[in-house]
Amino acid sequence: MEPFVVLLPLFGALLAMPIGRMVSARAAELTTIAFVLMACLIAWVLFFDVAVGHNARTIQLFTWIGSGNFIADWAVKLDTMSVIMLVVITSVSSLVHIYSVGYMHDDASRPRFFAYLSLFTFAMLTLVTADNFIQLFFGWEGVGLASYLLIGFYHHKKSANDAAIKAFVVNRVGDFGFALGIMAIFFIFGSVGFEEVFQAVRTDAVVTPFNAADGAPISELTVGFLGLELHALTLIGILLFIGAMGKSAQFFLHTWLPDAMEGPTPVSALIHAATMVTAGVFLVCRCSIIYENAPDAATLVTFIGATTAFFAATVGLLQDDIKKVIAYSTCSQLGYMFFAAGVGSYGAAMFHLFTHAFFKALLFLGAGSVIHAVHHEQDMKKMGGVRHILPFTYAMMIIGTIAITGVGFPFLYDIFHFPVGTAGFASKDAIIEAAYAAGTEGRTGAYYAFAMGLIAAVFTSFYSWRLIFLTFHGKSRAPDHVMKHPHFPPNWMLLPLAVLAFGALFAGMLGYKSFVGDKAASFWGNSIYIAGDAHAGGESHAVEAYAAEATPPVEGDHAETPAIASAEDPAGAAHDEAEEHTEGYGEEGEGHHFPLWVLYAPLLAMLIGFGTAFAHYMRGSDPLRPGLLREGGILYSFLKNKWYVDEVYRFLFLNPSRRLGRILWKIGDGRIIDGLGPDGLSGLAGFGSRLIVRLQSGYIYHYAFAMLVGIGVILLIVRLGGAQ
Amino acid sequence: MAGSDFLLEYLPILIFMGLAAIIGIAFLVLPTLLAPSNPDQEKVSTYECGFEAFDDARMKFDVQFYIVAILFIIVDLDVAFLFPWAVALFNPELGMDRDFQIFAFWSMFVFLAVFFIGFAYEWKKGALEWR
Amino acid sequence: MQLGDNISFAFPEIWLAISAMALLMIGVFIDSKYHRFISFGAIFSIFVALFLVNFGTASENASLFNGAFVTDGFGQFSKSVIYVAAIFAIILSDRFMERERLARFEYPVLILLSVLGMSLMVASTDLISVYMGIELQSLALYILATFNRDSRRSTEAGLKYFVLGALSSGLMLYGMSLIYGFTGATTFEAIAAGADEANRIGLIFGMVFLISGLSFKVSAAPFHMWTPDVYEGSPTPVTAFFAAAPKFAAMAIFARVLVEAFPAATDALSDWQQVIVLVSILSMVVGAFSAIAQKNIKRLMAYSSIGHMGYALMGLAAGTSQGISSVLVYMTIYLIMTIGTFACILMMRRPEGMAENISDLSGLSQTRPGLAIMFSALMFSLAGIPIFLGFFAKLYVFMAAVNAGLFVLVVVGALSSVIATYYYLRVVKIIWMDEPAPEFERDAGPGVKGVAILSTVLIVAGIVVIMPFLNIAAEAAAATLF
Repeated sequence: MEPFVVLLPLFGALLAMPIGRMVSARAAELTTIAFVLMACLIAWVLFFDVAVGHNARTIQLFTWIGSGNFIADWAVKLDTMSVIMLVVITSVSSLVHIYSVGYMHDDASRPRFFAYLSLFTFAMLTLVTADNFIQLFFGWEGVGLASYLLIGFYHHKKSANDAAIKAFVVNRVGDFGFALGIMAIFFIFGSVGFEEVFQAVRTDAVVTPFNAADGAPISELTVGFLGLELHALTLIGILLFIGAMGKSAQFFLHTWLPDAMEGPTPVSALIHAATMVTAGVFLVCRCSIIYENAPDAATLVTFIGATTAFFAATVGLLQDDIKKVIAYSTCSQLGYMFFAAGVGSYGAAMFHLFTHAFFKALLFLGAGSVIHAVHHEQDMKKMGGVRHILPFTYAMMIIGTIAITGVGFPFLYDIFHFPVGTAGFASKDAIIEAAYAAGTEGRTGAYYAFAMGLIAAVFTSFYSWRLIFLTFHGKSRAPDHVMKHPHFPPNWMLLPLAVLAFGALFAGMLGYKSFVGDKAASFWGNSIYIAGDAHAGGESHAVEAYAAEATPPVEGDHAETPAIASAEDPAGAAHDEAEEHTEGYGEEGEGHHFPLWVLYAPLLAMLIGFGTAFAHYMRGSDPLRPGLLREGGILYSFLKNKWYVDEVYRFLFLNPSRRLGRILWKIGDGRIIDGLGPDGLSGLAGFGSRLIVRLQSGYIYHYAFAMLVGIGVILLIVRLGGAQ
Repeated sequence: MAGSDFLLEYLPILIFMGLAAIIGIAFLVLPTLLAPSNPDQEKVSTYECGFEAFDDARMKFDVQFYIVAILFIIVDLDVAFLFPWAVALFNPELGMDRDFQIFAFWSMFVFLAVFFIGFAYEWKKGALEWR
Repeated sequence: MQLGDNISFAFPEIWLAISAMALLMIGVFIDSKYHRFISFGAIFSIFVALFLVNFGTASENASLFNGAFVTDGFGQFSKSVIYVAAIFAIILSDRFMERERLARFEYPVLILLSVLGMSLMVASTDLISVYMGIELQSLALYILATFNRDSRRSTEAGLKYFVLGALSSGLMLYGMSLIYGFTGATTFEAIAAGADEANRIGLIFGMVFLISGLSFKVSAAPFHMWTPDVYEGSPTPVTAFFAAAPKFAAMAIFARVLVEAFPAATDALSDWQQVIVLVSILSMVVGAFSAIAQKNIKRLMAYSSIGHMGYALMGLAAGTSQGISSVLVYMTIYLIMTIGTFACILMMRRPEGMAENISDLSGLSQTRPGLAIMFSALMFSLAGIPIFLGFFAKLYVFMAAVNAGLFVLVVVGALSSVIATYYYLRVVKIIWMDEPAPEFERDAGPGVKGVAILSTVLIVAGIVVIMPFLNIAAEAAAATLF
């Protein structure tokens, strides 16, 4: 059964085009939906089996690549992390498939669209069920390909093609780092299997890099890279994170995500909000044991994540395109996930990933519904008052917005022992609190992340409500014919919204205890590193396994080893830290032990954002009047131009590389390589040909002469050769 | 003396050469003495198979000259082959093996048959008809 | 061995000789409208010879006529291939000769005679019989080259071939006389036995002249000059025959002379190896470079054949059993390709006459897609592109050369095959990408079409259909020389 959760969407992808051609587009749609729904069903069954029933397992299907030591299997790894991803992916994918039936109803190449969607689903499922880095990389590239195809789905539009290429190229930059990371892993560990690598890190095994004379414990191992002697795990962590940055649109490599909104909106919901972009978070969490033992890499993750959260939120403030607002919002939320992982709270990162999938997909699909209604207009300045036309969508969008902004009731925690509020409230608060807690523990960058997270929360609230107010409230600014004849969304589109809205409201409350609460340790089992293991009590056999493995040949001086560097330390350190910060990391069991302001700060941030947005866009007759940030101001231009990142890249990379390209093309390739190589050689061949052909005069005596000369030369050579 | 015996064996050849020289010279000398001399352009020109002796080599000529000449040469060779065959094989003094004689006899007939086929072909093709 | 036994082993050749003469007589005495039957008769008689070679007494190993001839696996393999090639040559000529008003009953008879010559040649183990075989086949070929005797080009081709052929025969005879002079023997066995350090230099001289004469017959550079002119001038079916059977026969006797008369055991290998390497390199280079400039497809095929002989000689240069087997494989495959290509060329006919320029093939894919596909497949195969048979031919000779340590030769071979690929692909490009030229006539006749289709199928599916058998047969045949 297990392989089918991965394979069914592939079948759908393969069948969609033939069926679409031979039967009808509708048949193709229904086929793919059926396959994805089946996969979804299996995914949920597996979820309860694996995550709830603690039945983690890996099913080896076949050896994909076997070359000496280099063995990459094809497997379906089922542990808590992967089944969570399975559930998220298949559920959102099913809903998006269904939604697309309505959204794409007037498109001629629907079978192709559904084939791509299913192909994407297959690749994403391959990615999350990988039990080694190579299969992971396959899925990683597979989703990249599907993303490329879907962004460029409207291939007659130049902007769509450009965006697709940009997404592909920027991802290549990240993938280069990722590939180097995998190579580094194989170089150092001699294996690309998760189990072997993580086990080695966990037990601080002595490993011998590929060509090294002798090995060293992994916590002390250094390798040469770019002429530097780097801590091996830090190097691996940073390289893998570069890959994650590309895929998850983190700062520096985020530029493709807003442009990717050129794709059809369901694609944005599935790929660029709920699933693919979270692959980076998944990767970091999957490798949590590596990051826990590479504090510098973790700091980098924290820093980049927090910066992205802040940066994307600021840019989102001024976007007019409804999808771009949500795109920057996605970027920002991904930043949250990363800094959660960076400060060591992988559970919180995964939790936010999980809840974010629901409310962000909901927002995107809701936005899609609006776009669909107003004749594919995406500029919010040309909307307004849409709530009269789309009351249901309006309600759904409100739910999505309160989820993303994190509406909740922190004071009810003490009564219910779980956060009462929307999904975003539960997960985002968990992240911000985790950052604060890590800060109190002295983790580098954690306070920075905490601060950035809070500020970003204000902005998140502001731009989310701005979107609602500009789109749904006020007077309509759309052309008359649009408002008179809007496209009402069919039920195909509304049903998925309702399902997602349910998730956006309740996923946080339902999942809290398992993901980050007191059941976390047993819930996650072996699949991620959990800092709080030690005081989660004896519930977790996994923890004991850790502890047992870790029970070290501890020498006396080992206590001085930097806490995070060695494998036995997580457990050991956790024991030590358990006493000191049980209060600090308060959410485990005994309730909040943060300063009160920390608990209420996110809520407050949300309220500030809401209030500002309300004041600006709901009061007064013209919501588009200049506000705090006036047009023409420096700050306005700075934000409007997305911090000039694209321009800087154009200046730093694009133009020089274009110039370099021209030089290499005109001189390097044209003159030198072609000139000496193909052109030169073929010219030489032509010259030689003319020369030899000239000998072919047609006169017998020339021919006879050639024969005699030939004999003479041969005799001469043979005599010379014989003389030796 | 051994040396003179050896040379004596070549005496017939010497005689033959002498006779050839005498006859050859005689045939050159006698006509000038006896024949009427009435030269004209055609008579004094060199005989060269019907061609001008000194002329452009690239000219049309009748291939039949060559066919006849080739046939002549082939028959010539045939005779040159047959003489030693007849003399050597069936000379009782040489005492050839009987079986070998029979084999050689039929071998020659195979040769003659092949030769005859060529001749028949040429004849039937009309190569010998002077048109 | 008794004479009768000798004769029974020589049945195929005797049969060919008798049937050639019989057909000549029949042909000359019957009415000209029955002349097609002479072709059928010739095909039938070659079939019978093929049967005799493979299933009669001639399939046993024996030395005949006091060491002048031999029947062995090598000869059997070579004769079989030569016979099949001759049958195809007669089939190819069928419709062409009628349309060009060349239909004469002598054509099949001459082919029979030259086949007889080749048959004797590949079975020879004595310099005299080698010479006899070569001359018998060559004389027939000279006449075939001039077969269109009203055409200036054809007569010129025949004359050139004849004069240069006479020169090469002279060189070869000179070489043979040197060899005889230094060893006192004409049979290969005795020559090998008579070689020693004292007469080495003289033998080398003789050998070089002998190799020159044989190189002329296989049209290897620098003795190749006749090839383009003769290929272009001769009637196309004759050219097809030239490119196939005589090449194979000459290559076979080439291998037999060198391996048997100058075996590795007497150190002669290193002497002739360098000569063959030189000739091979020259042929490959000349073939590759010259063909680039050609506009006439038959001339192109001539240079192509020069180049291919270079590759085949590469296997010979190895001098090992593997090398000789690779030569046989190479030549057999080359034969299939070249006959197929000429069958295609024979289909290039317009109302005004045969089209022979490469440019006449323009846009063939649009006017005659089937022919275009066959042509392209054959060109790919000649270029040695994998999956097609031509690739495996090259693979085997390269492997043999590498195993013999002839790396320079292999490198030159690889480079020249890159250059050669250019002009083969140019033909393909012209066929598929250029603007269509006027369509060819479609009445090439079932024989030509059948041969073209058969050889295309063979070169495409050959890896499964013939490669396994061919390889085993060639290895077994080559083994009998050692």
